[in-house]
Amino acid sequence: MKRIIRIAYTIIILCAILFVMGCAKKTLEPVTPEVSKPHPPGQTGMPAEQPGMKMDTSEASQGAGAASGKSTIEKARTAFEKTDIYFEFDSFELTPEARKALADKAAFLNSHPKIKTRIEGHCDERGTAAYNLALGERRAKAAQDYLVFLGIGSERVSTVSYGEEKPVDPGHNETAWAKNRRAHFDILGE
Amino acid sequence: MRRFFALIFVIFIISDIHVHAQQIHIDIEASGFRKMKVAMPTYAGPGDMAGSVWAMCARDLQLSGIFDLISPQSYVNPGPLGEVQQGSLKDFSLIGSDYVIAATVSKQDTTGIFKVQMVDVSTGQVIESATYTSGEQTMYMAVHAFMDHVLRNKFGLDPIFSSKIACIKKDKTAKQLHVIWCDGTGGNTIRGGGSLVLSPAWSRDGKKIAFVSYWKNNPDLYLLDLATNNVKQLSAQKGINTSPAFDASGGRIGLTLSIDGSPKIYIMNLDGSGRTKLTTGWATDTSPSFSINGKSMAYCSSRSGNPQIFIMDLATKNVQRLTYEGKYNSEPTFSPRGDLVAFSYRAKNEKFYIATIKPDGSNFRVLPGSGLGDESPSFSPDGRLIAFAGGDGNIHITDLMGTMSVPVTSGGGFSEPAWSPLMK
Repeated sequence: MKRIIRIAYTIIILCAILFVMGCAKKTLEPVTPEVSKPHPPGQTGMPAEQPGMKMDTSEASQGAGAASGKSTIEKARTAFEKTDIYFEFDSFELTPEARKALADKAAFLNSHPKIKTRIEGHCDERGTAAYNLALGERRAKAAQDYLVFLGIGSERVSTVSYGEEKPVDPGHNETAWAKNRRAHFDILGE
Repeated sequence: MRRFFALIFVIFIISDIHVHAQQIHIDIEASGFRKMKVAMPTYAGPGDMAGSVWAMCARDLQLSGIFDLISPQSYVNPGPLGEVQQGSLKDFSLIGSDYVIAATVSKQDTTGIFKVQMVDVSTGQVIESATYTSGEQTMYMAVHAFMDHVLRNKFGLDPIFSSKIACIKKDKTAKQLHVIWCDGTGGNTIRGGGSLVLSPAWSRDGKKIAFVSYWKNNPDLYLLDLATNNVKQLSAQKGINTSPAFDASGGRIGLTLSIDGSPKIYIMNLDGSGRTKLTTGWATDTSPSFSINGKSMAYCSSRSGNPQIFIMDLATKNVQRLTYEGKYNSEPTFSPRGDLVAFSYRAKNEKFYIATIKPDGSNFRVLPGSGLGDESPSFSPDGRLIAFAGGDGNIHITDLMGTMSVPVTSGGGFSEPAWSPLMK
């Protein structure tokens, strides 16, 4: 009987320790995200580098208030068109990284109300052509729906699916495939 | 007395005719069916021409699915043999051949002449003896005529060498609509335009081809009339207009549209009117294929989480899942005989194969194919053969038992074969 009580006490104490540690972690977490991305009004948002995203890294360090006029806008346009979002195999679900990138694109579109965008949905070469045309369409639509959800007028956002027909990387390995499972954003008109 | 002899004579003649007209019946799906062995020495005639015609005939014998060509290396006399000598039959009997084919190829101006004989080795009976002519550059037409005659008249099978395969041919960055005879001869690119052309589908009468094109920077559906060479737009809705498939009557066409949110299958008249939504729900549905009896539609849907084949009863709209093996089954196509569905199957090793299954879900069979990753199956008009896109970028043909995988194109860049009906 004594042995059982001792064991029970040990377990209770262990649980208490773990509970306290867990609580401590929770209070520490919220600090970091708040300082990563300032978005003062009038400045285009630059996405912080995330794994799996292609971007123009030289712009990442441009600080607030860079008033270089036209060239800032040009760089923003370039970043908008160069930054694709990526998907898991056979999925059109938006990852957290994708949603962050889309938030930046929405910010850009909000600052340039005359700009329209066309979203291309793409797949990797695996799977079959007809199904990939449909999957590419769902990827483009998922991005479109999210931009509209963020407040962009739906008449400003159109979609097109290219299925597996236009890979950026012709390789036959996971690295290439990961790059091809994407939605790409083109600027139309002004 | 005379009347009696006359009667005997008449009876004799009739039975004689009957023997010569007798067809050989083959049950090619009976277990234990073995292909008939054919010996075919080189042809008599000018070297290049005789050689190329021989090669065409050899390919067609293989594609017929019922013949096995014995390698000329085994022959006592490899040829040239312009005509079968009854006395030489025992040489062919020795190597186990059931039939021998001999031919003479010649030329007159721009006309090619193919004089060919096919003899039953064990009986000495002449199965076929005829002369076929064609343009010198199109001798494959003469070979097709010979092979179709043998298939139809001697073995009761459909003359498949008068059927074609439409497919997609990649050219640098563009993709084009390309048509070949089913054995790969006489290839012609019939629609390009510098952008992407995809997913050809033959009309039931073989006179039109529906296809997807990005001419207007969107996957839209078009219909090509082969006689007039005119193209008309079938569907250009926002989103995708893909995977065309003619219904059993040939008067309506199934397609995938995403106008309602997710990709769903619709059916409409060829003038775009009467559009009806066939599938419902949140999933991705695509690749419809209609059975010839008008009752069912097979299609690919992600409704159970990943792409699988389903069959819809068109009268009740009731849907049954067909495939349970593997986690990625797509591109279903009904056999013209209605007793089989072929599709692209992704195996556990992540490679794609052509597989077949009965519409009730039984008899799932994986075909070895090219071994390099096979997709996009399409049945021959008689349902005995399946064309598919091999992983080497060529169109291949296999039979229902998977005993062969014969490439009918070369050089790669080919995909999405669609086998035509028999051409009149």
